[in-house]
Amino acid sequence: MECRVLSIQSHVVRGYVGNKSASFPLQVLGFEVDSINSVQFSNHTGYSHWKGQVLTADELHVLYEGIKLNNVHHYDYVLTGYTRDTSFLEMVVDIVQELKRANPNLVYVCDPVLGDHGSMYVPQNLYPVYKNKVVPVADIITPNQFEAELLTGKTISTEKDAVEVMDLLHAMGPDTVVITSSDLPPRLGDRFLVSLGSQRHVRPDGSRTTQRVRIEVPKVDAVFVGTGDLFAAMLLAWTHHYPNDLKTACEKTFSVMHHVIQRTISYAHDLAGPGRRPSPPQLELRMVQSKADIEDPAIVTEATVIS
Amino acid sequence: VGHPGTCRVLSIQSHVVRGYVGNKSALFPLQVLGFEVDSINSVQFSNHTGYAHWKGQVLTAEELNVLYEGIKLNKVNHYDYILTGYSRDTSFLEMVVDIIQELKKANPSLVYVCDPVMGDHGAMYVPEILLPVYRDKVVPLADILTPNQFEAELLTGRKINTQEDPLSALQVMDLLHKMGPETVVLTSTDLLSKHGDKFLVALGSQKLTKPDGTNSNQKICMDIPKVDAVFVGTGDLFAAMLLAWTHLHPKDLKTACEKTVSVMHHVIHRTITYANDVAGPGKRPSPAQLELRMVQSKADIENPSVVVEAKVL
Repeated sequence: MECRVLSIQSHVVRGYVGNKSASFPLQVLGFEVDSINSVQFSNHTGYSHWKGQVLTADELHVLYEGIKLNNVHHYDYVLTGYTRDTSFLEMVVDIVQELKRANPNLVYVCDPVLGDHGSMYVPQNLYPVYKNKVVPVADIITPNQFEAELLTGKTISTEKDAVEVMDLLHAMGPDTVVITSSDLPPRLGDRFLVSLGSQRHVRPDGSRTTQRVRIEVPKVDAVFVGTGDLFAAMLLAWTHHYPNDLKTACEKTFSVMHHVIQRTISYAHDLAGPGRRPSPPQLELRMVQSKADIEDPAIVTEATVIS
Repeated sequence: VGHPGTCRVLSIQSHVVRGYVGNKSALFPLQVLGFEVDSINSVQFSNHTGYAHWKGQVLTAEELNVLYEGIKLNKVNHYDYILTGYSRDTSFLEMVVDIIQELKKANPSLVYVCDPVMGDHGAMYVPEILLPVYRDKVVPLADILTPNQFEAELLTGRKINTQEDPLSALQVMDLLHKMGPETVVLTSTDLLSKHGDKFLVALGSQKLTKPDGTNSNQKICMDIPKVDAVFVGTGDLFAAMLLAWTHLHPKDLKTACEKTVSVMHHVIHRTITYANDVAGPGKRPSPAQLELRMVQSKADIENPSVVVEAKVL
């Protein structure tokens, strides 16, 4: 497999978020990963302290220029996640557009990180950039419910609402949409949460078909950081291997997440000791220890095809 | 293969967007072997400097200190290993030394693996003022050192007589031991191999303290097939893999070196085959085509079949 990904995300010295979360699992699955680090911080911002430096839009451009001057700006995938800076995000859009001209088959996997649980945790002025510039060039997006509602202006109270929101997102650009988490009532009980996916295909005869899936995922009683980045990276990998089978791609992706998270929470509780809540350092994803699960995830979550 | 448990490495090296040098060369193989790797990127460049073009940004000594401060404030400045390589800046290198000294106070068992990158084939390719910093400050802190012949000669002020079998090379390694590191691997020399001129000679020396308190010294010699291509990042991969294999075989330099050199062989072989295929018959591969086939070599990294034997001297 000769597949090259350009991932533009944060770098942390310690821990697993951004490029640290995405690179290893993609490399373990055989992808060539070029990575532009949008920031370099000591650790993620959930710790008591964090320190480091950010890359400006200009510096991003300079790095891309280096790649271009060597005529190696040919990618099969671009992957982006958490950003706080509109000019940086706009430079990313310019780069993606140019890379798509160089390779019209390029697939842009975009996690439109804006917020969660009803509030934004990035500057508000990113919202129009995502809506008007980023999502239109994305091929696969992984919003949570809040982000999906924000981007479409429509709230989700039922599964039917979610399907309509995903159709609205398709109309904005991406052929593949996965709502990574929602407040919809799970059938398996309140220890689960509902995720949904939708993938649009064009049949050989030119007609359109949409495969929609529903996945119920066990909730975990802990705050993880970097899981969204791992999710987007693994969705990239599994949609690559199952390009017309969103059901299987989602089962594999959600299953990997489950294994990594279970291993992490067990370890974190061991470290913290009985009755203690684990700290952010203790809750860092057990990424290298999960290599076998990343390579070949045992399916533990089934996706149901919905109409 | 034994699992390193929760062994944490701090690697302070370059980052390139594309390709495998510095941290890009060290991280994946160490992670694949189960090591937790924290990485500070000393620079971020588009690619290594052997391409026609390269662009990017460097980290200052002050910025390095800020990152370290973040780690320290969170009380997670505890490492089992430190790994460093190519550096061009004396103030940066001196900040690295300060950080290592502090980390060694936090964990006296910490092992510092140092590739004292200064030059090769008789010429320096870093600023000359780095030599006294390496000689007087860095090497005395190092526990494992991976100089080539030229760097070993620079550090000790002693030339290795390549006609004199390994004797003068062994003497230079003893001088390096006296400067600090208990483990020294001369990654390449101009010594004549008994297998002929298609091989180069590497040497290793490890000083150990036996349980009864006496010292012992294992010295080994390896004849390594030469490859007709210029690779970049192989030294960084070597140092990272020597870290891993000396960790897994702590008192057995012979085995550690056999595994390390064998991994190098598999990766290089896969790379040159691919590069020649991509370049086409009769064409010399480009730097882009010669990037190490790192992710494709995962199985060899995890469990290298030994293809080069080390001789105990």
